[in-house]
Amino acid sequence: MTSGQSGSQGGGFDSADFVAGFITEAEEHLALANANLLSVEDAAAKGQSTPRQVRELFRSLHTIKGLAAMVGVEPIVEVAHAMESVLREADASAGRLPVGAVELLLNGVRAIEHRVKALEKRQAVPAAPTKLIDALSTLRPSAPRDGAGDGEQTTLAPEIWSKLSGAERSQLVQGLSAGRRGLAFEFIPTPALAAAGLSITAVRERVAERAEIVKVVPRSLPTSERSPGGLAFVLVLLTDGADAALAEVTAATPDAFTPVTLVARHAPAAAPVVEGGAVEDELPEDALRHRGVVRVEITRLDEALERLSALVVTQFRLGRAVAAMRVAGGDVRALAPIVTENGRQLRDLRASIMRARMVSVSELLERIPLIVRGLGRSTGKVARLALETSRAELDKAVAERIFPALVHLVRNAVDHALEPPAERRAAGKPETGLLTISCRELSDSQLELTVSDDGAGVDAAAVARRAGAPIPTTDEALLELLTRPGLSTKEEVSTTSGRGVGMDVVKRIAVDELRGELTMRTKRGQGTTFSLRIPLSITIVDAFSFVCGDETFVVPVAMVEEIQEIDLGLTTRGPDRRRAPRPGGDRRRTARATEMIQRRGQAVPVLRLEEVLGLTSAAEDRSAVESGGGGSARRKAIVVRRHGEAFAFAVDRMLGQQEVVVRPLEDRLVRVHGISGTTDLGDGRPTLVLDLAALGGRLVRDSTGAPPP
Amino acid sequence: MPEALIVDDSKVMREMEMACLRAIEGVVFTQAASGLEALERLSLKPFDFVVLDLNMPDISGYEVIEFIRGQDKLRALPILVVTTRGDEGSRARAMSAGATRFMTKPFSPESLLGEVRALTAARPGATP
Repeated sequence: MTSGQSGSQGGGFDSADFVAGFITEAEEHLALANANLLSVEDAAAKGQSTPRQVRELFRSLHTIKGLAAMVGVEPIVEVAHAMESVLREADASAGRLPVGAVELLLNGVRAIEHRVKALEKRQAVPAAPTKLIDALSTLRPSAPRDGAGDGEQTTLAPEIWSKLSGAERSQLVQGLSAGRRGLAFEFIPTPALAAAGLSITAVRERVAERAEIVKVVPRSLPTSERSPGGLAFVLVLLTDGADAALAEVTAATPDAFTPVTLVARHAPAAAPVVEGGAVEDELPEDALRHRGVVRVEITRLDEALERLSALVVTQFRLGRAVAAMRVAGGDVRALAPIVTENGRQLRDLRASIMRARMVSVSELLERIPLIVRGLGRSTGKVARLALETSRAELDKAVAERIFPALVHLVRNAVDHALEPPAERRAAGKPETGLLTISCRELSDSQLELTVSDDGAGVDAAAVARRAGAPIPTTDEALLELLTRPGLSTKEEVSTTSGRGVGMDVVKRIAVDELRGELTMRTKRGQGTTFSLRIPLSITIVDAFSFVCGDETFVVPVAMVEEIQEIDLGLTTRGPDRRRAPRPGGDRRRTARATEMIQRRGQAVPVLRLEEVLGLTSAAEDRSAVESGGGGSARRKAIVVRRHGEAFAFAVDRMLGQQEVVVRPLEDRLVRVHGISGTTDLGDGRPTLVLDLAALGGRLVRDSTGAPPP
Repeated sequence: MPEALIVDDSKVMREMEMACLRAIEGVVFTQAASGLEALERLSLKPFDFVVLDLNMPDISGYEVIEFIRGQDKLRALPILVVTTRGDEGSRARAMSAGATRFMTKPFSPESLLGEVRALTAARPGATP
């Protein structure tokens, strides 16, 4: 029985290969642990125990500990081990945690998160926090197991009941007492079902969406045609829904379900009803629902999208080739519908990949309860958070960008809008402030997130005084003042105005970056609501920005082969050509020579971007002077390549390189060739994102007189 | 070709175990992410050995072992328990439930490979 530190020694195994996987799994478990801890705390406040959550917590920490040991991150092993010990005790006492445990466990999760982050950033992982570990190890179980469920009896078959742990028994009995229906559902796996995708894992997942699974018990059966593997699974469930729904998703017949009830002396009618009545909603998402889910790095999806873009371009060329054939009198009747179909399939494929990038809003809001809790502690305010989420999903890139804005709004609400308990009482309000975050899909492409509080409202007069402006009379004007960059940098302004910290940041993210909307409604003494309307998806690219003809443009870095300095006074001339049509227009100009620059011994055609785009007449005049050979005209040339052919665009000057959010042009059908969308460089004005390869490919082809491919 | 069933709810852990065991000639891996899935796979196809975690979301590794030993056709199946639970109690419980061998995480590639070879060496017919 050897056990040893894993290292890079050993054939074909290097623990470093698994660090990325460890980080991903650890993050999943940590998020789940946070959610479970919060619901344990909530339930404890109502005097309920939470055996299932405690069991899940134990499992999360146990898994993290094992993996951390394999990849050799000792500090994480130490913290996870200390937490695991507390949770094992709690699991053995039907899910009751010692007093003060939740706080320490949350700190533990944070400590592990911190170390996982360090690992991710390839920094040194800090040592385990000894104080926290000491505190965890001195926690004593609050009470011996209370035996809930032991004295109770249900109609569940004894051989199944005997397989349930004390915690599971009390979970079942509690549920039944609260008026929920109990079911025992038998699933018999067969090769045929497995081939159809109905494995126990799939069945478990589907059932978990519609019912609470207390336990799955395997049972031996005689081998027969019905049970070729000699195995059945009995799923013990609590549900509020109809059997039919469960039968449908599991392809089961109604006789696969057996009701489970409490024995007569504990009839449901006599039992206490669980407060709130929305038990199901408050349960954190079952960990197992994540099964069948693959987490991939977003860059891989981006890569797939990029490949797809190339395919779309090829499809576009195909379409053009077919059109050219038709013009030349060729018979393309058989070809045309295939090209159309191909185009549709590519769009569908693009939509599928885009869907894979979506995350649910509930996932986005996962950490908000933790933040509100932390804020409540630091400010002494009492806040209750109500999350009203839908099944809406949004692009990971949008989620990542909007999250800080949401956090700003939540922080402002607790910090500044909600009054201290005494003040609230004096104003005739409940001491506990209410913070509501809700989400609504406005269309296929837009989502509205609102953050509301029932606090003091924004003091317009105070805001105006600080901003040195007249008192705004409308909410819109007030929001305008609040989002002024100068205003929000002053901390004391926000404390007197009740609002203001980082509001300019919120606006910058929601409006300038994501091209969404930010609105506000506020009423003194009653509260404030902020609404963020944001697109469900965006495209992010790394891009160069540059100036040409007094306009700013961007071009994706991936498209650029090289940027070089050129002197337009020193270009050579190629053969005469007709000037190409401008995007969006069909005006043709008189013939003119193609300019060429020398690049590594090769002549590369250079196009003046301002001419190609038909920019201001001033630019045209200037270029006319330059091309007249009047002295030096130093400019930058952006070299791009298309179908192996290099060509360059002359621009005035380069500005820099940055990540930009590309918004597609509103109507995809009236797409302008050579323009892939618009972006915002932070000045609030739309900037065109150019597809120089597409733009140049056409022009160069025209200029050299080559037929379309 | 030895058929191996690798049971662990952690994907990374399964990958690590498989990376260690690839040295076994001709080995074919099947993975199960839960105890229930493991039982399902075992009921539908024969395996030469199982590498089993103890702590899993639905039913524990102990329950998996107990169930396996309760089935005639699986009574002799070699089971290697690989767990973070290094205490004597866990070992005793796993062994009494019917585990063939027991080792703790973290493990080195050599030690896991050695355990699996020892696991199957005792069994006639299997030559991983």
